[in-house]
Amino acid sequence: MATIAKPAPPLAAERTGFALFAALPRALTILLTAAAVLAPLSLIVYQSLLDAPFFDAVKHVGVAAYDFIFADPDFWMALRNSLLIAAGMTVIAVPLGAVLAFVMERTDFPGKRFIEPMLLVPSFVSPMVLSFGYVVAAGPVGFYSVWATDVFGVAPWGLYSLAAMSVIAGLTHVPNVYIYASSALKNLGSDVEEAARVAGASPFRVAVSVSLPLIMPALLFSAVLIFFLGLELFGLPLVLGDPEGHLVLSTYLYKLTNKLGTPSYHLMAAVAVCIVALTIPLVLLQRRLLQNVRKYATIRGKAGRIRELPLGAWKWVAVALVALWLFVAVIVPISGIALRAFVTNWGFGVRLAEAFTLGNFREVFNEPTDVRAIWNTVLLGTVGGALTVACYTAIGFATHRRNDGWSRVVDYLVLIPRAVPGLLIGLAFLWVFLFFPPLRPLRETIFSMWLAYTVVWLAYGMRLISSSLLQVSTELEEAARTMGAARGRISREITLPLIRHGLLGSWLLVFMIFEREYSTGVYLLAPGTEVIGAELVSLWQGGAIDIVAALSLINIVLVFIGLAFALRFGVRLRD
Amino acid sequence: MSPRLALLVLATIVAPVFAQTVPAGYPADYAQTIAAAKKEGKVVIYSALDTKAAQPLIKDFNALYPDIKVEYNDMNSTEMYNRFIAESASGQGGADVMWSSAMDLQVKLVDEGKAMAYQSPEASKLPSWAVYKNEAYGTTYEPAVFIYNKRLVTGNDIPQDHAAFAKLLNSETAKFKGKVTTYDIEKSGVGFMFVVQDTKYFPGMKELEKGFGAASYRVYASTGNMLEKVSSGEHLLGYNVLGSYALVRAKKDPNLGVVLPKDYTLVLSRVLFIGKGAKDPNAAKLWTDYILSARGQKLIGGEVELFAIRTDVDTEYTAASLNKQLGQNAVKPIPVSSEIVTYLDPKKRLEFLAEWKKALASGGGK
Repeated sequence: MATIAKPAPPLAAERTGFALFAALPRALTILLTAAAVLAPLSLIVYQSLLDAPFFDAVKHVGVAAYDFIFADPDFWMALRNSLLIAAGMTVIAVPLGAVLAFVMERTDFPGKRFIEPMLLVPSFVSPMVLSFGYVVAAGPVGFYSVWATDVFGVAPWGLYSLAAMSVIAGLTHVPNVYIYASSALKNLGSDVEEAARVAGASPFRVAVSVSLPLIMPALLFSAVLIFFLGLELFGLPLVLGDPEGHLVLSTYLYKLTNKLGTPSYHLMAAVAVCIVALTIPLVLLQRRLLQNVRKYATIRGKAGRIRELPLGAWKWVAVALVALWLFVAVIVPISGIALRAFVTNWGFGVRLAEAFTLGNFREVFNEPTDVRAIWNTVLLGTVGGALTVACYTAIGFATHRRNDGWSRVVDYLVLIPRAVPGLLIGLAFLWVFLFFPPLRPLRETIFSMWLAYTVVWLAYGMRLISSSLLQVSTELEEAARTMGAARGRISREITLPLIRHGLLGSWLLVFMIFEREYSTGVYLLAPGTEVIGAELVSLWQGGAIDIVAALSLINIVLVFIGLAFALRFGVRLRD
Repeated sequence: MSPRLALLVLATIVAPVFAQTVPAGYPADYAQTIAAAKKEGKVVIYSALDTKAAQPLIKDFNALYPDIKVEYNDMNSTEMYNRFIAESASGQGGADVMWSSAMDLQVKLVDEGKAMAYQSPEASKLPSWAVYKNEAYGTTYEPAVFIYNKRLVTGNDIPQDHAAFAKLLNSETAKFKGKVTTYDIEKSGVGFMFVVQDTKYFPGMKELEKGFGAASYRVYASTGNMLEKVSSGEHLLGYNVLGSYALVRAKKDPNLGVVLPKDYTLVLSRVLFIGKGAKDPNAAKLWTDYILSARGQKLIGGEVELFAIRTDVDTEYTAASLNKQLGQNAVKPIPVSSEIVTYLDPKKRLEFLAEWKKALASGGGK
């Protein structure tokens, strides 16, 4: 900035001033992103090196926290389980999500419009509730299990083993892959696929050898993210891991909250730092894999028309696959919750007709807090979600087509917050709002919640936006530049309109994850800023399972309505 | 309008303003507290009791003091503690009133000087163990109970006391394998506090722990989860479950049975104190006195379905009815005192947990 003030030859000063002016929005975007991510994170790192809360008068710097957790056999067990589950769910979710995206985007699969919203369901239900749905439906005395026992004499599945958790986590994370893959496919002309069909390839072969390799960046991004999400998994192992005592890193961290009687932030922070450390090599790997992204650019100057591939005899394979997945990942848990919402009790030997009630819903609607929570959640997902996408897009442009150090820094930055378990990052945000005076007045407003959500889900939304950006070939931008357009104008008039589908999809995705987010908001709740997810966590503790089930079902229904609107809107834009 | 009628109308408008006189038996300067509280206009409460359950209290308090808005924040006891210490360290007082079932954490905060001294005019109506340093007050009388599935556990299998519970696990191990549940004492502060008290009153505790191990007991942090799983039949028996929640559910749920152990029943009392940095100290005083008053206690033992700690109120769930049902000597309240913070010392706590695990292992369990 000092250069502006310096007296210099007029022409030179003008040029420097202009360059600075042009660079300012980018610098500001990067600075704000860094601040939003690093403030809570540095607090966590600092906390991990102390032996008492960082705001205590008496504290010592040291590595005692790390000594404690590394000496704890539970930590190593949790680490092993986390890696196993993360690997398991990646192996399951990525191929399945990719194939589903191909089937939905590229083929004449019957009833696509109706099925697509169903595909997204597991990702907008809080995993804690989803897991609870599994317990009611397929637990040892769940109603599917009781039926299976009646028919076969035994229910041939267990719900509480590590393998079962990996499978459930994998199946319920398919939508995350699906949405990345399908948004990448949308931006991909189908001419090469048609060429492959003409040459005699089966639809399966087209998918595996042509379409999916073309969207490799999106698939790799989602694979890395699924692995992250696997390391961060909390709600699912909290509900399903308890009965047989399987710990994962985040539930181990949760256990440390009370193990020593008073919350041991230093131990929790040390575990969080370990999780972050685990993810760094993954980010390096991902960057290596994607060094040459240009070869994936597929929206070129010439128009790419998408035509549906006839599935032929493969139709039945596809239908069976989709139906099976829908049954296990959507119908089983949702029917579990739905059933639970309408009964007073359930289980072995209970006649459900006798236990039927509408009282659970009456209680929700008679409770002003719950009603407010419903409104706030919707608001945060729609309006907040749109603002969030705007922020993500700004960050996307700040790094788009720039291979300098700053882009790399941002790439790493955005991935870190999701690696820290939501409960702890929520607490770190509370610390930031408390100990950073300019933010204090905002603490008890919905802004605090919005900021925390936006930072936590950076990695998620950013990947969608950057994979859309990567699909835009440089030649279009270069053409504009040749005509003398400035960078800002190219972004506004060329790139932005081209990625509008990606942005819309991104908004949809952000809406969904904001609806289901449950742990981040717990520490930022205040009267008037209640959200469903955090309410569910607090209700779950007390014992009001009736209300938990009813509120979850309301949440699902609300999101369904929102989703239907969004899809109609999206479909029209696409045509 | 006749002058008399006008006067009557005026009186009805003005009446509520004058209606808030000092309650009987309160010091005369209480009127100033009320006036100051009205000026504050609100009271911020952090509580582990969910909003829905607390609603009758909030409504009734508002009927009494319509000018004071109750900002009620429900969260679990650990979250409360985390928020409170961070807010007090940053000088941003959040809570005026802290009201939590984590008795030990509450006492610790009082010991650390985080509470405001306040001698409630109602304090003399409470048992002496429930009043701590004139800063913190026990407000409820909630028993720790056994729960069982009524369809699947019947007759002599229903344990009536601690010894019977231990014996059942050790003799009918196969039937109860994987089907007994209690709090995870590593995760749940309340669960931990209960078993520490158990070691004080129950000589056969080691046998019980061995039985838990042998039956590979299942542990949870959430009371709701335990109630749900015993009701559904996934588990058959639950140990040391917070009775206030269990009894509420048992009323509506024909599958859930509740036993108040005959040999002794532990009683937990939700501890309330006013934060030292409270921004609305006077309103906080009114809330404290209201909760301890006969009027508030009647609701606590009635509609709110906790147990009233005062023995002089007549309602469904009270200390008096519990004492009568079990015999005065069989009821063992956990005192609001520095005794209960012993195990907040990390070293002692870890030793206790190690002992607990050793006893479980002696039964062949985890």
